[in-house]
Amino acid sequence: MSSDALKKRKSKVLRTEGGTPEIKRGRGDGDQQDVRVYSEEVELDGRDPEQDYLQYKESCESLASLMGEIQELKANGAKEGCAEVERRRMQGCIHFMNLKKLNRLAHMRLKRGRDQTHEAKQRVDVLHLQLQNLLYEVMHLQKEISKCLEFKSKHEEIDLVSEEEFYQEAPQEISRPHLTKNDPHQLTLARLDWELEQRKRLAEKYKESQSTKEKIQKSIEVKKEHLRSLQPGLNAIMQASLPVQEYLSMPFEQTQKQTDIARHLPPPLYVLFVQANAYGQACDKNLNVSISGDVDEAKALSKPPEDSQDDESDSDAEEEQEKTKRRRPTTGGQLDDKRREMLKRHPLSLCLDLKCKDGSVLHLSFYYLMNLNIMTVKTKVSTSIDLSTAISAGDLLKADTLLSCLFTSDQGRETPNPANRYQFDKVGIVSFADYVEELGHPYMWVQSLGGLHFPSDASEGVRVGSSLSASHMESTIKLLRGRLQSRLALHKQFASLEHSIIPVSSECQHLFPAKIISRLARWTTITQQEYMDLPFVRHVTDAGLAKETDLYFMAVVERGTARLQAAVVLSPRYPEMSPLFSLSLSWKGERSGRTDDNLRAMESEVNVFKNELQGPRPGHQLLTNQISRLCVCLDVYLETEGQDDSVEGPREFPREKMCLRTVRGPNRLKPFKYNHPQGFFSHR
Amino acid sequence: MGPVELLHMSVFSQSFSPCGRFLAAGNNYGEIGLFSLSAALSPEATAANQKPVLTFTAHEGPVFSLLSTDCHLMSAGNGEVSAWSWAELIKKNVKPLWTKRPNYKSSLEIPEINSMAVSLRDNSLIVGGGDNNVHVMDLEHGVFKSVLQGHSDYIHCVSVREREGEILSGGEDGAVRVWDSRTGQSVHCIEVYKYQSCARPQFGKWISCLTTDSDWMLCGGGPSMSLWHLRSLSPTSVFPLSGCQRNASFHQDMILAVGEGAFVSHCLLGGDIKAQIPCTPQSLNTLQLNTNSSEHRVLTVGGSSNHIDVFTNLSYRAFSLSF
Repeated sequence: MSSDALKKRKSKVLRTEGGTPEIKRGRGDGDQQDVRVYSEEVELDGRDPEQDYLQYKESCESLASLMGEIQELKANGAKEGCAEVERRRMQGCIHFMNLKKLNRLAHMRLKRGRDQTHEAKQRVDVLHLQLQNLLYEVMHLQKEISKCLEFKSKHEEIDLVSEEEFYQEAPQEISRPHLTKNDPHQLTLARLDWELEQRKRLAEKYKESQSTKEKIQKSIEVKKEHLRSLQPGLNAIMQASLPVQEYLSMPFEQTQKQTDIARHLPPPLYVLFVQANAYGQACDKNLNVSISGDVDEAKALSKPPEDSQDDESDSDAEEEQEKTKRRRPTTGGQLDDKRREMLKRHPLSLCLDLKCKDGSVLHLSFYYLMNLNIMTVKTKVSTSIDLSTAISAGDLLKADTLLSCLFTSDQGRETPNPANRYQFDKVGIVSFADYVEELGHPYMWVQSLGGLHFPSDASEGVRVGSSLSASHMESTIKLLRGRLQSRLALHKQFASLEHSIIPVSSECQHLFPAKIISRLARWTTITQQEYMDLPFVRHVTDAGLAKETDLYFMAVVERGTARLQAAVVLSPRYPEMSPLFSLSLSWKGERSGRTDDNLRAMESEVNVFKNELQGPRPGHQLLTNQISRLCVCLDVYLETEGQDDSVEGPREFPREKMCLRTVRGPNRLKPFKYNHPQGFFSHR
Repeated sequence: MGPVELLHMSVFSQSFSPCGRFLAAGNNYGEIGLFSLSAALSPEATAANQKPVLTFTAHEGPVFSLLSTDCHLMSAGNGEVSAWSWAELIKKNVKPLWTKRPNYKSSLEIPEINSMAVSLRDNSLIVGGGDNNVHVMDLEHGVFKSVLQGHSDYIHCVSVREREGEILSGGEDGAVRVWDSRTGQSVHCIEVYKYQSCARPQFGKWISCLTTDSDWMLCGGGPSMSLWHLRSLSPTSVFPLSGCQRNASFHQDMILAVGEGAFVSHCLLGGDIKAQIPCTPQSLNTLQLNTNSSEHRVLTVGGSSNHIDVFTNLSYRAFSLSF
């Protein structure tokens, strides 16, 4: 029964709460008991706050009106607990209940609103967080992308072969043209493959070469060992052969020693040594070569070289010296040291002795200036006879001038190496000529003999080293010998010229008539300045034929009152270059070759037609023959001079020479040419 | 040719080409040098233009005389006369057209030829030289047709008076002889050294320069240079020049003379020396005025030097040609 009653209640309640069927179902069976409990929350859902507000207002008004009615009743004297009042109180209580309910509902509504707001806020927060995460992810991805874009591959640094070359050379399976033609990425990959392939091949080749090199080195080592083992045996043989050498008087050992020393010669001297030795052996037995100087110092200077012709050892030494120089402070006091350093000679020098047939010897000492890279020569002459007699011949054999101008304009006063100019500037050397006395002359031919070649204005075929030296050796030795002989001959001639004797050899007798009346009165040497000051040599100096290297002499030829002065320019290359005469005659006034056509003709007789006067080769008698010819010409000049009929008395110079005609031609020249067998004079 | 040879060179003779653009000069080595005046006178001339365009050895002895006809160059050497074609020389073809030798008697020494002149009237070449005789050569046939004998010493110079048909010759013997070219006889003989006003005994009596112009004759040498009137055969003026004169020439109303001394003398007909223009050689042998070409009208002088001085204006030396 009770369950029925429960069912009825339930249905009743169900009826009243028909508006919220879903909630009830959601709560399930656990809530089954509470269904009977009044649920204000559910009621709240079904109510309208607008109506609640109206109901609240209505309740308050009716409450107020009830209060008023009660008061009115009370005032009218109604009794406590009267029905009227009681009813009204009841109604008032209902209204209060109502208000209470409404108040609760309002609170509940507020709470619910708050909950809802909170819920919404939470949802928004979650969404916001999600958004933030996404944004961060985007940024990261962008960074990654840019990183990828900036990525540099190592292959870009590899120098690949060009595309055309690649397609030409690479095999099909690497180049894969159908793939790579249109795809640059594939192309690059293929090219890289090809590169790798090639490198592998080269590496293999390198390994192979390395191994062959090692093999060769080993074989060299073996051969060296073999050669080294030969040395003691050879030494023993040499030792054993010594007595034989001595017995046969073959100086192998001596030459061996000299060659040993020669190993320490600087390259130019070595070249000269070898060439001079070779020339001496082949062509000239009277050429003697020797080495002098401190061998130990030379050894110290050049590190023991494997090859004595090695240039490096010297240049190394040079560099070292330069370094030490640089270290020194450049104060004025040390400039001298620097100069001395720069002009330092190699400790070894080479001596060439040229013997002539008459027993005189020309000693040539060759030096090598290491820092200037030039060679110099000092000369000395030793003769078998005494040469102190001739005063005017003083300069002839002086070491200073003996070899000057051996070749045209080779005075040997300035350094032939153009680089020296700059070296001199550094240490304040004005001219090499100041040091020539001490160091010797750096003639061009000396450099050539040493195989040194310095380019000059006149550029010819450039040869260096031994071939240069060899090409100059023969001609230079011949010139040296010729120079010495001509100087010695001149020396002898000067001695007799100073005693007013003109030596004429029998071979040259036919050049002159038997009777020569004009006599050489004086033969002296003069300086170049004195020569320049003479009034009658202007044409010679103007023509540039009087050079600093030449020697100057003055000859005076006299006959009666006539006095002929002849200024002579003697080239150092005599007799190849003939002496040049300029004349001045003082007889009835002064006349010179510049103004008098006949004196000019006499000058040309000795200067131009010198070939007739050369005598036997090589023409050492040219000078004396020229002076003799001058005497003859003076005779002719004086004897054929027109006689002034108005002057009384005999002629000073009676005509003795046979002449066909005394004057000829528009400038009325006298006959200066001597015709030998007939003995008469004629015109040119 | 070495520097010593150049130093002792003398220029003895000069002649301008018919066109006036070239100068031939003969020296003491028997060489003839051909200079191009047009090149040397051009504004852009260099030192190379003052050297000969062609040098050739024409004779063995010195070339004492050069002469140009309308197409030939005659050169006189040791006893021989050679003719060269100007046209060929300009093309540098050196080959003589002919070489002739006058009939000399003596054979010991070949006589030199000192002077030549050409007579247009009978187309003959008059040659005077070392054998004391004047030889006349017919240029048409190339033979020596007559010999004028009379001088007692060698002949320095010859000259021709076209209009009168007379030949003049001056010699070492001091005489100027006037010859009739048709008969070959000596018409007059003037012994200049015998005239007090001209004589210079300290020098000698030879006549080394001779030139004529209509009735006037100029001669000099050992005696002072003097101007003679030929019809009266008397000296009208004597020029007080110091040295011996070797070559002289009439030029307009002036006389140009060269000789010993390094200058060209300008003399007035009256006997005054107007000017002495210095030049390079110490003594001068030859003087030549180029009248063949109006644009190259120059005076050239040569002497005891390898230089030939050129005067574009008579009053100063412009430059020197040199061998």
